[in-house]
Amino acid sequence: MNWIAVSDLLISAVRMATPLLFVALAELYSERAGLVNIGLDGLMSFGALVGFLACYWTGNPFLGVLCGALGGVLVNMIYAFCTVTLAGQQIVYGMAINIFAPALASFIYRVVFGVSSTLAQATLMKTVAIPGLKDIPFLGKLLFDQTPMVYAVYLLVVVTAVYFNRTKSGLNYKAVGEYPKAAETMGINVIRHKYFASVICGFLAGMGGAYLTTCYVNTYSDGIVAGRGFIALAAVIFGRWSGSGVLMACLLFGFFDALQLRLQIGTDLIPYQLFQMIPYVMTLIALTLFGSRIAGPKAKGKPYYREER
Amino acid sequence: MKKALALLLALCLALVALSACAKGPEAPGEKTYRVAMICDSSISDGGWGAACYNGMVAAAEKRGWETAYTDSIDQSAYADTMISYCDLGYDLIFAPGNQYSDAVKQVAADYPDVCFAVLNGATSLPTENIMSMLPNADQIGSIAGIIAGLMSKSNVIGFIGGMELDTTKSKLAHFESAAQVINPAIKAVSAYAGSFNDTAKGMELAASMINEGADVFFGDASAVDSGARQAIDQANGDTVRIIDIGQPADLLGQNPCVACSVVTDNAAMLAICLEKCETGTFGNEVVFGSLENNCVYLGKFNDALIDADTQAKILDYVKQLQEGTFSK
Repeated sequence: MNWIAVSDLLISAVRMATPLLFVALAELYSERAGLVNIGLDGLMSFGALVGFLACYWTGNPFLGVLCGALGGVLVNMIYAFCTVTLAGQQIVYGMAINIFAPALASFIYRVVFGVSSTLAQATLMKTVAIPGLKDIPFLGKLLFDQTPMVYAVYLLVVVTAVYFNRTKSGLNYKAVGEYPKAAETMGINVIRHKYFASVICGFLAGMGGAYLTTCYVNTYSDGIVAGRGFIALAAVIFGRWSGSGVLMACLLFGFFDALQLRLQIGTDLIPYQLFQMIPYVMTLIALTLFGSRIAGPKAKGKPYYREER
Repeated sequence: MKKALALLLALCLALVALSACAKGPEAPGEKTYRVAMICDSSISDGGWGAACYNGMVAAAEKRGWETAYTDSIDQSAYADTMISYCDLGYDLIFAPGNQYSDAVKQVAADYPDVCFAVLNGATSLPTENIMSMLPNADQIGSIAGIIAGLMSKSNVIGFIGGMELDTTKSKLAHFESAAQVINPAIKAVSAYAGSFNDTAKGMELAASMINEGADVFFGDASAVDSGARQAIDQANGDTVRIIDIGQPADLLGQNPCVACSVVTDNAAMLAICLEKCETGTFGNEVVFGSLENNCVYLGKFNDALIDADTQAKILDYVKQLQEGTFSK
């Protein structure tokens, strides 16, 4: 394996990890406020469609990403209302979003484009190279010749890590997920935090979906999300609910997924299913090795009743 | 109060349901036949689902049938969905894939008056009320292989599959062997996306095959193929060096890299089934789709990518394939 192949593998790994990272961060913000949202796949699907449509009609991928994000927020408000205000079961409503949102997206696509043997194509976001830095051999193309979305998501990882560990507001936010009653007695508005978390979650998950259709591929087809929401869900647990951990988890998965695709090519003797298992098996192994002593937010998954004793 | 409201709602629902049933039977004498399709993928996937759905609509239009479909259903819902259509009085159920065979067998036994047509169904499948439609996967692969054999300059050709279906495997095998008949130095690289929807994966697979030197692509993976074509276009930039062979519809013009397509005419095969259903001669039969009966054919050439001389050679080889003189 030569250097070009290695560099190509790493670039591909970053490309495949980016949508996962957006959505994993979305889940991180949701779970830190005690809301386990398994509806990520649904939010992504809707974001992917809205982003694609906006990009297709206006020709502006940035507007596409923004609209996709807002679409995600819109759908996630259903989840927020049901789980926060009505204190419903989070898993049930997450699942409902997973069934409802992709079907809605599929319906809208069919109303707009009909059924044809070709897919509509939109413009893709251009990469923005950082002058000077992009010419560094090997690392230049990997780190400094990507779409603005990639820079944004890595910046977001840093912001998330600083926010949750170094700011008062971030600690308050975390308290809502750990022990909401104590937080409430300290004057933190738990309900408002949970809604705020849902807005961020919907925004980032919608953005992750829109990334697929505005920065990655230039078409929308049903099922384009292909289970990425669930991988992101796993990445949050695997990344121990921290920004840097989630980053490592997504990169690890992206790397092994890129690797398995390359291993498949040029090998006829080994069944391809074995290669497809690699990313999942590696995730399992890593999870066992790093242990699971750090548990997630203590109040996650539990509905919050303000007046309950 | 709440109870009354619930009762009212239930009544409304019942009324809607009844009124939907009411418009069922038509005027006696002139029966309108109806065909329904089930599909596990989406019918707007720009690939297999879309090709099958459009095939059904075209065949139904030709024979004056009404159509209905249910798509994106799980394996657990195959049988239930078909039973619902049978109960609604549909005359023919169209199941576009070998994966529905078991469910079709089960339902067909319970509904002897309904016809079932299975695309890519096995030759052993047909019964009194089941027919298979079998496009010749060997020929499809061979036609693509002929084009690849004549067009590849790097001697590496790429194939992207969705899942490892029997038809996909034989397409791949004949794609490679036909290309090697023309140019023995050719090697095929292949990979499976493990999905028919993951467009992004198609893009990654094609990109890494291009790095391996592949310059002619063929596939069998619906929306995944769209991703592959996008990666090819991106690698090509302004001048097309790497080409794609489209399928199962004629995709000429969809992407700059599409040089030609291998077309499967599902509509023609399904029309045969519809006709047999009308005349009461349905069942115990396999409708083969091949070059011979024009259900498989070579699509239009992209003149900018394939010169006249090569086009003539391709046509000549395809003719040999049809006559059975194309050596393996």
